Amino acid sequence: MLIRAFSARLFIALLFSASVIATANSDRLDTPAISQVSPERMLLISIDRAGSRLVTVGEHGLIIFSDDGGLSWNQADVPVSSMLTSVHFFDNQKGWAVGHDAVILKTDDAGKSWVKVTDGNALNKIRMNAIENALTELAAKEPDNLDALEELEYKFDDAAVALEEGAGTPLLDIHFLNGQIGFAIGAYGQLYRSDDQGLTWQYIGHQLPNPDSLHFNAFFKAKNGDLYLLGEAGLLLKSSDQGSRWLEEDVPYDGSFFSAVESDAIYLMGLRGNVFKKMADGSWENQAFNSTSTINDAVVVQGKAILVGQGGALIRQDRNQFVAMGAQGLRTFTSVAHHGGNLIVVGESGVKRIELEGGR
Amino acid sequence: MKKISSILLWPILSSEKFAEGVLFGYRRIVLLAFLAATAFLAWQATQIRPDASFVKMIPSDHPYVANYIKYKDDLAGLGNSIRVVVAAKEGDIFSAEFQETLKKVTDELFYIPGVDRSALKSIWTPNVRWTEVTEEGFVGGPVIPAKYDGSEASLEQVRINILRSGQVGILVGNDFRSAMVQVPLFDKHPETGEKLNYQEFSQQLESLVRDKYSNDRIDIHITGFAKIVGDLIEGASEVALFFAVAFVVTMVLLYMYSGSVMGTLVPLMCSFIAVIWQLGLLNLLGYGLDPYSMLVPFLVFAIAVSHGVQIVNTITLESATTGADKVDAARHAFKTIYIPGLTALISDGIGFITLMVIEIQVIQDLAVAASVGVAVIVLTNLMILPLLMSYVGVGRNAIAKAKRSIEKTNSHWHLFSFFSKPFGATVAVTTALGLLVIGLYGSQGLQIGDLDKGAPELRADSRYNLDNNFVTENYSTSSDVFVVMVTTPEEYCSRFETLSLVDRFQFYLQNVPGVQSSISLVDVSERVTAGLNEGNLKWRSVLRNQYVINASLSYVPAGLMNSSCSLLPVIIFLDDHKAETLKAVTASVEAFAAENVSDEIQLHMAAGKAGFEAATNEVIETAQYEMLIWVYTVVSLLCLLTFRSIRTVICIIAPLALTSILCQALMAQFGIGVKVATLPVIALGVGIGVDYGIYIYSKMQTYLQQGHSLSVAYLETLQSTGKSVAFTGLTLAIGVVLWALSPIKFQADMGILLTFMFIWNMLGALILLPAIACLLHPENREVEKKVKA
Repeated sequence: MLIRAFSARLFIALLFSASVIATANSDRLDTPAISQVSPERMLLISIDRAGSRLVTVGEHGLIIFSDDGGLSWNQADVPVSSMLTSVHFFDNQKGWAVGHDAVILKTDDAGKSWVKVTDGNALNKIRMNAIENALTELAAKEPDNLDALEELEYKFDDAAVALEEGAGTPLLDIHFLNGQIGFAIGAYGQLYRSDDQGLTWQYIGHQLPNPDSLHFNAFFKAKNGDLYLLGEAGLLLKSSDQGSRWLEEDVPYDGSFFSAVESDAIYLMGLRGNVFKKMADGSWENQAFNSTSTINDAVVVQGKAILVGQGGALIRQDRNQFVAMGAQGLRTFTSVAHHGGNLIVVGESGVKRIELEGGR
Repeated sequence: MKKISSILLWPILSSEKFAEGVLFGYRRIVLLAFLAATAFLAWQATQIRPDASFVKMIPSDHPYVANYIKYKDDLAGLGNSIRVVVAAKEGDIFSAEFQETLKKVTDELFYIPGVDRSALKSIWTPNVRWTEVTEEGFVGGPVIPAKYDGSEASLEQVRINILRSGQVGILVGNDFRSAMVQVPLFDKHPETGEKLNYQEFSQQLESLVRDKYSNDRIDIHITGFAKIVGDLIEGASEVALFFAVAFVVTMVLLYMYSGSVMGTLVPLMCSFIAVIWQLGLLNLLGYGLDPYSMLVPFLVFAIAVSHGVQIVNTITLESATTGADKVDAARHAFKTIYIPGLTALISDGIGFITLMVIEIQVIQDLAVAASVGVAVIVLTNLMILPLLMSYVGVGRNAIAKAKRSIEKTNSHWHLFSFFSKPFGATVAVTTALGLLVIGLYGSQGLQIGDLDKGAPELRADSRYNLDNNFVTENYSTSSDVFVVMVTTPEEYCSRFETLSLVDRFQFYLQNVPGVQSSISLVDVSERVTAGLNEGNLKWRSVLRNQYVINASLSYVPAGLMNSSCSLLPVIIFLDDHKAETLKAVTASVEAFAAENVSDEIQLHMAAGKAGFEAATNEVIETAQYEMLIWVYTVVSLLCLLTFRSIRTVICIIAPLALTSILCQALMAQFGIGVKVATLPVIALGVGIGVDYGIYIYSKMQTYLQQGHSLSVAYLETLQSTGKSVAFTGLTLAIGVVLWALSPIKFQADMGILLTFMFIWNMLGALILLPAIACLLHPENREVEKKVKA
């Protein structure tokens, strides 16, 4: 929240200082990703499967794919050099990726080539216009609802600053419910929705019960169709109607959530080994967890969750317990996929392929 | 041609008469003046100090070094620092005893003069902290907790703090069995302005740290430039021992050769005086002795002895053949030797002076030292030596011995005269051509720069390199550091545009073969930004928001930006410092800079050890040909002036050229690169090697002019000077072969190569020279014409 505190000063400062010195260097949003000799050893943030193909994204616009279960990797053509934070495939051809500078990329050939759909320059405008319209509407409809008006005004200011700043604010996750409807989420409570395969986006972040514009770290879809937004400072929003209405869930926790997984129940992972299980009555219960690592991602293999995270944490669910699967070094894992009896884990030191005992 | 050469050679020719008049006219006065000068210079010589400076060993005019010097003050931490590793022989660092030692070592280093105390780092210094993200925000503290008492519990706390500090592989060994103290140094003390005394500093490291704290449980490893220099100075002192050995061996050989006590002692004494004069003059001129010029006294001594031998030899022969008395014999020897001797010494000197084209101070200093030495030899051995001999004479025994050897026409020299006859000459020249082909083929693998890992100045099994191996194996940062300096307008180094470009640059470097990793301000910004966002790696990027960037840079470790925020070094760690690695890096940086440079943000190479090596390699690569052209041109011209015949020049130069090429092949085969230490070898080898040719040819010419056929003239030459030429080659080789034992790798390399060159040049002069002469001068092949006079 330190960053937000600056925003007013920032706005003034930027008015005066924006591009005092222009440089001839092209922006990273316009610079294709550098092709790397060993891209599978770079910082990778997110992995997903397009059918049998593995696709993972990371620093400097890096997207790489493997057709042999993670043994060999090829680098995709990517038009930007911004860090990518999330990749998601709806089917074995269509996929999307998001990242810093609010860039949204799309592929129709299972991750081999990517086009830029939009970026922060355009999305910031959409966001400001959306909030401006909402503000006008609310002022006309409920001129006495001062709290709501003030909140929207704050958000409008932030949006204006963001617009001034350029492509700024990062997107942190993307998810498509079907071939048409998808959501992109990110820092400072950003939530965008697309109803046309991600070609055009609308801003709906200001409609959420998130007055402090907390970050959304991850998007999660439960088996029953419920959607969750995992946020900062204990914020968890749920929608049961495909994302039209979002309500805050009550979790007994003030830290941030980074990932969720559904095996025998939905598990919600927070900072430093805080894990919460969704009980039958809908309440969230803190689980005993024998690790202080922050969990970044999880995958379900044969009905049991496998968790990966900070400092090489690799933890598997054993009935109602979580047990470490042996030391995996000290480098942080960011994301995991399951493929043919192997775990494909990515993170700080690139791709790691871990064989599961008995293909489990 | 005749005219030009007589004009140019006039000073040499006319000085002969003058020098002879003065020397032999006022023998006592000359000797007294000489004695006085020697006493004065001996006193001066005792004042000479070992000298080693970082800047002297790198090409100061190369743009890389010029850039470094321009930004030197801002790069303080990167220029000069040492690393002291305290290692547990058994167990790990989590014992009270180990931590106590580490603390004491840290304190000890803190108080050694020359240490930049504010930047000293170990897990015991307060500037090394751990941080962690919790639900409440950032927490952090020093690695050693305030309540540390050596108990199990507090050691466990230390272990946790180390893991949280991210210092594993940096200040703590990857296996937790050692810990490091990083010790940045001041080249010049900021307050006193005093220059760092490397020798003293290195000795203090040994006595105050290594000797004091290493025992059966603790090992101390020390690496860094200051330690290399310290070890070099220390190792170079061992050359004094070699000098003593060379002196004794030369004395024995000289006696065996001359059979005269005086003929042994006087040349030795004069040669030793030449060394004293040389050192004294260097001190007067303000030079010190660095590990490179340390070798010059050997050369001076060897060259002086070789000329002394020629004089004594001539005196003996003169006394034996004409029965002249001491004074006349000495006077005659002076007249005979003066011109070829002076020519030979001048060509030596000029050969050395050509080293000045290499813009590296240590080589230029070496050139000066060697030239001074050669100039001194003219006085001590060409002038004073015959003067002294005119008093003492060579003795009856030696004269009798010489008479005997003249009478029994020496059988083994017939062997060599075989090469002055058409058949033998063809065989010799064909063999030489074969060797030339082999040499050219073999020298293809010749590389520029240092080829070994660690400190190539020292031997692979030296303590320094073992220490360096330990650090490389147990820590994540290599010692081959290449620094690119990114410059911007003031207060612009942390702007998004700058960081974004540097970010891309570092990512680009990942593709360059030989690059291990790199760090810069960008890494700080990215890591702290992720840290501010709960350690989430999705945030490990340069953010576009300037306030986020500024917040991420609220604490910047020393050396990653300057105080006016206009300089941002990118520190690149390389696999090694082989020439091809360095070339790949510089080429890649240049390519990136060419594409991405704007008026505001510029990339400059280069600082860091590997950066300087890259610059040195570039200088050497161009200088090696330049120097060869110069040395051969100058020596050839000199021979042309002396002998006034192009064919003679070919006779003298061709064997030298063959040796140079074979020497390069030898270097390629032995894995010795062309570097600061080996580059001068060829100039020295050619400069000194030409002596043989000049002595032999001038003698042979005398006999040819007397009307002898080539083979007879050559046999005569061999019988009179062949022996002394062979002896000279041997003396020179003995002077340098001992270097091969030096603890300093480059001295050893120089020793091996110079020995090779001296011996091959000698053989070339004895075999190839007459062979080529035979083929080039068919008219001289005729049987004896009528002998004149």
